Amino acid sequence: MTLLKLHNIYRIYRIGQVDVRALNGVDLLVDKNEYLSVMGPSGSGKSTLMNIIGCLDTPSRGSYELDGISIHKEDHEKSDTANDDELAYIRNRKIGFIFQTFNLLPRMTALHNVELPLIYAGVPRLERIERAKNALEKVGLEDRMYHKPNELSGGQRQRVAVARALINNPSIILADEPTGNLDSKTSQDIMDLIGELHEQGNTIILVTHEADIAVRAQRVIHMLDGKISEDNKKK
Amino acid sequence: MFNQLYESFIISFKAVFQNKGRAFLTMLGIIIGILSVSLMGTAINGIDNVFNETLGMFGKNVLYLQQFPWFMGNTEWWEFRNRPRIEEEYADKILERAPTISYASVEASRRVTLSYKEKSSEGVDLKCAGWQSAYIDAARIETGRYFTQLEDEHASRVIVIGSEVRRLLFPNIEDPVGQYVKVNGLNFKIIGVFAEQGKVFGMFSVDNMGVIPFQTGKAVFGRSWWLSVSLKIRDGADPAYALDEVRYITRGLRGLRPMDPDNFAINQQEAMEDELDRIKSAIGFVGIGIAALSLLVGGIGIMNIMFVSVKERTREIGIRKALGAKRWVIMMQFLLEAVIIAVIGGAIGLLLTILLVGVVKKFFVASLSLELVLIALLVSVAVGLVSGIVPASQASRQDPIEAMRYE
Repeated sequence: MTLLKLHNIYRIYRIGQVDVRALNGVDLLVDKNEYLSVMGPSGSGKSTLMNIIGCLDTPSRGSYELDGISIHKEDHEKSDTANDDELAYIRNRKIGFIFQTFNLLPRMTALHNVELPLIYAGVPRLERIERAKNALEKVGLEDRMYHKPNELSGGQRQRVAVARALINNPSIILADEPTGNLDSKTSQDIMDLIGELHEQGNTIILVTHEADIAVRAQRVIHMLDGKISEDNKKK
Repeated sequence: MFNQLYESFIISFKAVFQNKGRAFLTMLGIIIGILSVSLMGTAINGIDNVFNETLGMFGKNVLYLQQFPWFMGNTEWWEFRNRPRIEEEYADKILERAPTISYASVEASRRVTLSYKEKSSEGVDLKCAGWQSAYIDAARIETGRYFTQLEDEHASRVIVIGSEVRRLLFPNIEDPVGQYVKVNGLNFKIIGVFAEQGKVFGMFSVDNMGVIPFQTGKAVFGRSWWLSVSLKIRDGADPAYALDEVRYITRGLRGLRPMDPDNFAINQQEAMEDELDRIKSAIGFVGIGIAALSLLVGGIGIMNIMFVSVKERTREIGIRKALGAKRWVIMMQFLLEAVIIAVIGGAIGLLLTILLVGVVKKFFVASLSLELVLIALLVSVAVGLVSGIVPASQASRQDPIEAMRYE
């Protein structure tokens, strides 16, 4: 079953008088429970692609469908984009983010950080806490629930972020250089954890520039100059 | 939705308390603004209360024909001093000629000392009033009765005392009616006690008084120089018309020619109300001016601090939006923060007002009403909303990608 459908996606930024084509006609289909990694040099457009898949940004042209919902549609002249609040809703329900810089709220406990997406989904408090605790147990942080990010190690912080990404049972988990700020030992742990999530049936898209991380995925795509230059599926 | 509102509230509350010092400084403008609004309101309320409680002792629909006006305005007092005296017979003559007047009574006042056995009450305001004053004055009798026409005409030595006199002279006697008090060495029989009327401006009691019949006063003290004639306007008559009538009759009694100015004054309670209204609106203007300025400055302060707060938390906004916070949720978070700062400022202002009113009450009228508290809080909420709306909407429009990259 196809989960993501990107067709002829362009993302053009205007910097001064010059148009910069960050994405220059990308076509991509991702199936449910696929484990895909995106590689490419910096400036190749992989972050832009992740932002568009993650509904943090919308394409300038092309059409994008996620789990049957049309995020951006284009027929000839007319384009139809979801608005800010609709995008927020889709991010909240369909997408789990894992960032290189963790992006946890510094003044809140791990538990509260994990709860956040549920708050915006309107889940009642008690249920929220219950689910957040379960998610933290799943990533092995049951004894760190009431610690704030600055009281946790980098690996633990990323585990909190993983728990937060999982909490809303998203259709897809987007990991943008999740090991970029971690040492190799912790990187292995986090990648093992992401591997487990995949085995449990989650769809995962991973952006990385480290080949040994990328090879853990079933499918590796390479990007260059805003286009997909290679698409390798493991048998 | 309620859930998210509650969360926004908690978040905003924490945000304010994480920056206590900054928030407090920001509040100062609001504190001063609310303080001046509520102090002003308090003073106006106080004046109103005084009017309602104590000035009510001047009868309604009563004209006072006197030598001096109650409010002299810009005229010098000696211009009034040389006017002819008000004469005793004016009361009867005006009553006879003016159909709009139902009762008329002549009055004179003096300070005396009342004594009962070894106790005495000094500086008692003793009014010598004609018998018709029973139908004119607003003072209510608590026990006993007023004097009669017969007692006035026969110059009987009877007296109606005020509640303060009763407290001083008869602390242990249940009902002083029937007792005798000494005035100027002469015994007066107490026939009634007035109900308590309170204190003017909370300072001096109007109950340290007594009333005796006019003719008795004349017999005991001789002729009085300063007479006043109280005139009750007939029920249903137009007060303005009655005033004119009294004026022309008095001019006639004085033999004034058409072009001569009045050489007497006709006072009424309404004149006092006008004067109080003038004082009230003066206080109001000054108070509102100070309040508006400090609320404006306070509001600008809040707006400024909110811009700083939004800037500081750009990353947080980005993360929240990435995780699914909609625009209104972010907006609410910052709007509530502004409102919380403003309302805490307003509450501190009110608290200071209450403390100040407590102190001031000992010297001057003041009363803080619930209505005023509500108005002050509403004003604070409004200031918070107005000054928070621009920073909050700026926060809600941030692009999540840009915001998360912000360092």
